Amino acid sequence: MSELDEKTENGSVESAGKGGTEEKKAKDNSGLGLGVIFFLVAFVVVFLSGWLLFPKLLYSEKEQPFNFNHDLHVYEMGSCEACHFLREDGSFSGIPDLYSCTQCHYEEPMGMTEDEKIFCEEYVAKGKEVPWLVYSKQPDNVFFSHAAHTEGAGMECKTCHGSIGQSKELPTYEENRLTGYSRDIWGDNIWGIDKNSRDSMKMDDCAECHEEETGSKGACFQCHK
Amino acid sequence: MSKQNTHGKTYKFGMAIDLDKCTGCGSCMVACMSENNVPFKKDESDKKDSITWMRVYKLTNGKSFPETEICYLPRPCMQCGGKGDQGHSPCVSVCPAVATDYGHDTGIVSQIPVRCFGCRYCMAACPYHARYFNWWDPKWPGEMEKYLNPDVSPRMRGVVEKCSFCYHRYQAARDKAYYEHREEIQEQEYQTACTQACPAGAIAFGDLHNPSHKVHQLVKPDPHHSGKPRNPKAFRLLERLGTNPKVYYISEKEWVRKAGDNYLEGEWKKMNKKHG
Amino acid sequence: MKVDRRCFLGLGLGAVAGAVVSPPGMKLTDDLAIWTQNWPWTPVPKDGKVTYEQTTCSLCKGNCGLSVRKVGGRPVHISGQEGHPVNNGGACLHGISGLQYLYGLTRINAPLKKNGETFEEISWKEAVSHVADKLNAMRENGKAEKIACITGKERGSIPELFKRFMKAYGSPHYYSMPDMNTTWRTVAEKMHGENADIGFDLENATHILSFGSGLVEGWGSPVHNFRVNAQRKDKGVKLVQVEPRLSNTAASADRWIPAIAGSEADLALSMCSVIMKEKLYDSSYLVSYDTGFSAFSGLVTTGYAPEKMESKTGVAASEIKTLAREFAGAGRPLAIAGKGRGDTAGDLTEFAAVHALNCLVGNINAKGGVRLNASPDYLKFPEMKLDAVAEKGAEKAPEKSIDALMRKISGTGQSPVQALLMQDANIAYTMHDTDRVKQALKKVPFKISFSSFMDETAKLADIILPSPTFLERYEDLPSDASMSRQVVGLAVPVQKPVKNSMNPGDAVIRIAKAMKSGVSENFPWKKYEDCLESVTGKLWDPLSDKGYAVISEKKPRKTVSADLSFFSVNKGKRPEAAGDRTEYPMMLVPYDNMRITSSEVTVSPFAVKTVSDEEIKGKESFVQVNPETARKIGVSRGDKVKITTPAGSAAVRIDLFEGVMPGLIGMPKGLGHTTDNPYVAGKGVNTNQLISVSIDPNTGQDAAFGINAKISRV
Repeated sequence: MSELDEKTENGSVESAGKGGTEEKKAKDNSGLGLGVIFFLVAFVVVFLSGWLLFPKLLYSEKEQPFNFNHDLHVYEMGSCEACHFLREDGSFSGIPDLYSCTQCHYEEPMGMTEDEKIFCEEYVAKGKEVPWLVYSKQPDNVFFSHAAHTEGAGMECKTCHGSIGQSKELPTYEENRLTGYSRDIWGDNIWGIDKNSRDSMKMDDCAECHEEETGSKGACFQCHK
Repeated sequence: MSKQNTHGKTYKFGMAIDLDKCTGCGSCMVACMSENNVPFKKDESDKKDSITWMRVYKLTNGKSFPETEICYLPRPCMQCGGKGDQGHSPCVSVCPAVATDYGHDTGIVSQIPVRCFGCRYCMAACPYHARYFNWWDPKWPGEMEKYLNPDVSPRMRGVVEKCSFCYHRYQAARDKAYYEHREEIQEQEYQTACTQACPAGAIAFGDLHNPSHKVHQLVKPDPHHSGKPRNPKAFRLLERLGTNPKVYYISEKEWVRKAGDNYLEGEWKKMNKKHG
Repeated sequence: MKVDRRCFLGLGLGAVAGAVVSPPGMKLTDDLAIWTQNWPWTPVPKDGKVTYEQTTCSLCKGNCGLSVRKVGGRPVHISGQEGHPVNNGGACLHGISGLQYLYGLTRINAPLKKNGETFEEISWKEAVSHVADKLNAMRENGKAEKIACITGKERGSIPELFKRFMKAYGSPHYYSMPDMNTTWRTVAEKMHGENADIGFDLENATHILSFGSGLVEGWGSPVHNFRVNAQRKDKGVKLVQVEPRLSNTAASADRWIPAIAGSEADLALSMCSVIMKEKLYDSSYLVSYDTGFSAFSGLVTTGYAPEKMESKTGVAASEIKTLAREFAGAGRPLAIAGKGRGDTAGDLTEFAAVHALNCLVGNINAKGGVRLNASPDYLKFPEMKLDAVAEKGAEKAPEKSIDALMRKISGTGQSPVQALLMQDANIAYTMHDTDRVKQALKKVPFKISFSSFMDETAKLADIILPSPTFLERYEDLPSDASMSRQVVGLAVPVQKPVKNSMNPGDAVIRIAKAMKSGVSENFPWKKYEDCLESVTGKLWDPLSDKGYAVISEKKPRKTVSADLSFFSVNKGKRPEAAGDRTEYPMMLVPYDNMRITSSEVTVSPFAVKTVSDEEIKGKESFVQVNPETARKIGVSRGDKVKITTPAGSAAVRIDLFEGVMPGLIGMPKGLGHTTDNPYVAGKGVNTNQLISVSIDPNTGQDAAFGINAKISRV
């Protein structure tokens, strides 16, 4: 015999049913309220940690061996290309090696800064290359041609590298703990939303610009090796 | 096919190999290995898993002593263009990961190993066995990592790799052209490692569109027939499959040319009458 | 209020919703993908400025000019040097593998001294004084003649320094590894009465008749000859290859004449008989200069008529006649000998018979013919001051060959050699009857190796003074004597030595300087580079500027006399393949394959990779037999068999090849290394251990090219 049958037999189906539902509703409401609060709390906690805490955890902050004043060097040398130049074979020289630096910096510092002192004592004197952390370093399978962009397309350095040339201090290098690449590749904005085209340098960013400028994203081999 | 940016000048790079000059010495194979960071194992005698982007096959005419003849046939990637060079190469068509792709500006079939997830459809699809799978992580014993070429990214276990016509050399040539504000690269500026190494000069490499290039003069490709050679001594492997390869072979010997495809009885004679 | 199930649901949903609208999920997925694409153990080669440096290869005697591409100062790729007179841009696979030699797994890290069964590292100072002390003591005890020295190459300042050291020390026992040029020089001496190298102007010949010379197997200067072969095809120059097995050269030739192994001399003389009989010779040349002409004419026309030679050579009489007529009728015919790579001495009679063809067509010192080149004398060493011990040694004669020396050592009683210097020579691998050579070496109490690698011979040494490889050292390298144009190349270091090694030139100078007077004053140089600069004299500037110098540009003398009486005098004196034909009914003929080195240089991992699976499979190697032979002896493809010769036996597998003459066994050279390099050693069988020494009575050199053998099933 079912429960309903039993209740009908007792002749109090309606009232019993009514009172029971109301009671339950009250209970339900309070449960739902608490559930919403729990939902909101969890949402806010996860949401905020996702936006604020996660980036802190994902990236380890690394300091450069010593500070480098781009502004001063651009002033002294005249241009970016004085140090970061295209070689005669069209390849890009990248970050200057110790030999290039020692064309001006001998063992004695020229200025008064603590950084130059470190450079002269730790690297020039010992003949050791400076282990710079490269903000724009791409994975090994990426082929990037500076010549194609600066000579071929006539782009300026700052279109991609921003105003690093006017900086007096090097920003903190943030290394992705998982991939080992700089935060500057993904972009400062953790959601990947860029204000400037230079803010991030992932494949999609390259493809976006290529599509705008040339009408297609390009073939794989154009940028991969 | 997605439209592709051609960045100005387009080429159709191809190769012509004179089989009568090839002596099977193996320089091309090793030059390729050295240039493209191809690894090696303790035992390379199982040729199915021995990675050789460029592989030299030995052909025989099947006749008994002393009528026997042998011929060596170097086999890089054929860089198939498919019908009308639209990029429907056997491998490109089947890749589910877009790890291999047809470059319409060069006619070169790319292979991006890091994008590959190792399904090996392309290997099954390639009629030339030009693709190789990395069953193991490559290792360079001792200090040999020091000689690796930075222009070609070393691969890892679980991905497919193949000949790229030394694409990085094309990139380097273009960089130089950009630097010198030139539109076009010269024939000699872009040569593959195998072409450069061949001590017999049996390999010619260049732009199949450019009549001044040696490769064009050797094969005289017919643009109206999917680049079929107009030189009667030139042929392509499995021509009738319609893969439209960019590697041509030249031989005076009829049995060698006949070995380039599978013919039913009497078919060869009929074909030869037609194309004489 | 009660916390119930719904609250937890709310919590969970909240967390999920929060995660969805915050970045970690997507970002981690993306990063994970990047992570899997960049394993930390996959090397990332360092980028840098690309530069090119030129040097000369010394892996073989070809001396190709190489161009080394460096990235950020790091050598990454080797290719041929454009415009170089030897190889003009081409390179062989071994040269291209050069960097695998530089970073080779068996490179020796530092000087080593044998201590019981193992080696211990010592300093250079210790090593040099150890050697000098031992040699000093021997010299003072009147045992100066008991030291011997073997160098791989005969020419160049480094072999000269070793030669000089031996002379100053007072021992006549200096040897260099013989090759076909050794035999060709004897031909020049016997037939032209000249002390000269024989070079071949293959570039300008219009008809090349090769008696087993592997023009594309590494004969002479390999890359140079690859080019000659390719140009020949463009120019329509005919190549006729006489050889019992279809080698790559035979396959590339216009005509392949499969003559029976060892019958080359008979075939050549038979061709001479046709030329004589039909008066096809160059009468202007012969009438005026040749002696022994009529005797020779009589000898060949009666004894070597084509009909008589049919069964001996396996070539039909009509074909012999055609060959002779074609050869004599060609514009600039040239006949060459030296089997395979020509890296062993040959049968003098065979070489002389082939050369008789050249004499008959009068191509000596003619364009496209044979060139008699004076031995290169660009090295000007200062006069030596010999003391009494040295004078005494200088009066004595060395053994006739290294094989003779080895036989003396392995004979009964104490070894006549008490100290042995070995430079650039891996005799425990490259010499025939290898096991006996190893036994002989064990009898020599003090063996000094200058090897860069722990090869078979270095393993047996008592002290190793490791050399840098050709990419790390200076050395002058005269080209192979078989080239018509003689070129000296200069090897220059393109990389700082990666091991604690020393140029063998420096090592000799330092040992000599540490010796007592008598020896030391003959070595006035501070270091090898000074010596090289001073002894090359006027040549140093072009050498150091361009990296090479052509030294024989002057026109050769047109008038050379030729003496054909050799055959009447030496009739019948020939080296013979060992073994009784009834017990060993087949003939084993090792063959050269360009892809495998068979010299003192062990093959590289890259080169091994190119070797066919019909030659190596796993740890086993194959022998080639004709399918007909296989049927006769009841074996089929892939069968494991035992091959036995009078020198030894080995387990191999059968490969069927229609291009091998029935009854012949073809076996690839260069395999079966026993070094500690799993990438290249332990693969197959070293043919040298199956070949017995066969001395040519005319020269005293080992001229074995093959051996009688049998195959049995296992």
